[in-house]
Amino acid sequence: MNCKLCSALFQEFLEDSLSEELIVEVQDHIRTCSKCRVSLRTYTLTVTLSRKVDPPCCVSPETLDRLKKIIRERLLKTNGVPV
Amino acid sequence: MGKKINKQADADLVRDLKRGDPAAMEEIVKRYSNKVYNLAYHLTRDAHAAEEIMQDVFLTVIAKIGTLTTEAYFSTWLYRVTTNAAYGYLRKEKKFSEQTPVEDIDQEQYLDYDWSTLPDDVLLSEESKEVLRESIDSLPEAMRTVVVLKDVEGLKNEEIAETLGISVPAVKSRLHRGRLILRQLLSEYFSKYTEPSGEEK
Repeated sequence: MNCKLCSALFQEFLEDSLSEELIVEVQDHIRTCSKCRVSLRTYTLTVTLSRKVDPPCCVSPETLDRLKKIIRERLLKTNGVPV
Repeated sequence: MGKKINKQADADLVRDLKRGDPAAMEEIVKRYSNKVYNLAYHLTRDAHAAEEIMQDVFLTVIAKIGTLTTEAYFSTWLYRVTTNAAYGYLRKEKKFSEQTPVEDIDQEQYLDYDWSTLPDDVLLSEESKEVLRESIDSLPEAMRTVVVLKDVEGLKNEEIAETLGISVPAVKSRLHRGRLILRQLLSEYFSKYTEPSGEEK
């Protein structure tokens, strides 16, 4: 396996969706190639850190109340059903 | 809202909403408002726009719920409506020009820098998070959407493909290229803390 192919398989490697043979090939390659070893570590950590990006936060209660009011009005208009 | 409705599957809620049940809509808003807002915010990076998009999305749900033929796919459909609304906003605001062209990123640079060994207080610092947020923002639209849906919002590849109307291989390709760019930008940022690994091949 060369470095280009190894790098192209990082995603499937992390998702555990490679065949047994390819897993072994990737593992063998990163054992002997420091560049790909570092590359896989930092690729993995990039994914991990992306998952820790803070959510923008929750919808404020005021916004939610306003949304519910608009929805009630729209439903009333659409269905003629008082909410 | 009773216990019964809290346990209802999305498909049941959608069926009830199609019959005009306001309680079903209220539960949908309760269940999905934060998710819709967060996705809209991640795609637009604008709190006010995200609120407007969220409102538009739920009004679209009321108007178009009848067109959703497979009730179980509601969340995917909702993500698609949200993504389209966010794209509409970005087009209107002409925000695409701020993206980093992929060809400007030198993928080979910093490959030797092993910043994975840096301590958590560096990796998870507010500054690092801000760099990552800005890096995600700088991705081309198609990649950014996939990265946000997968790595930030936690959707499966198949759900993203359905949401965006593209193939699973296309999702994987955009995701991989997006991650490589993010990795490169993070490597550049973290290089101030570390030296090349120096490991022999």
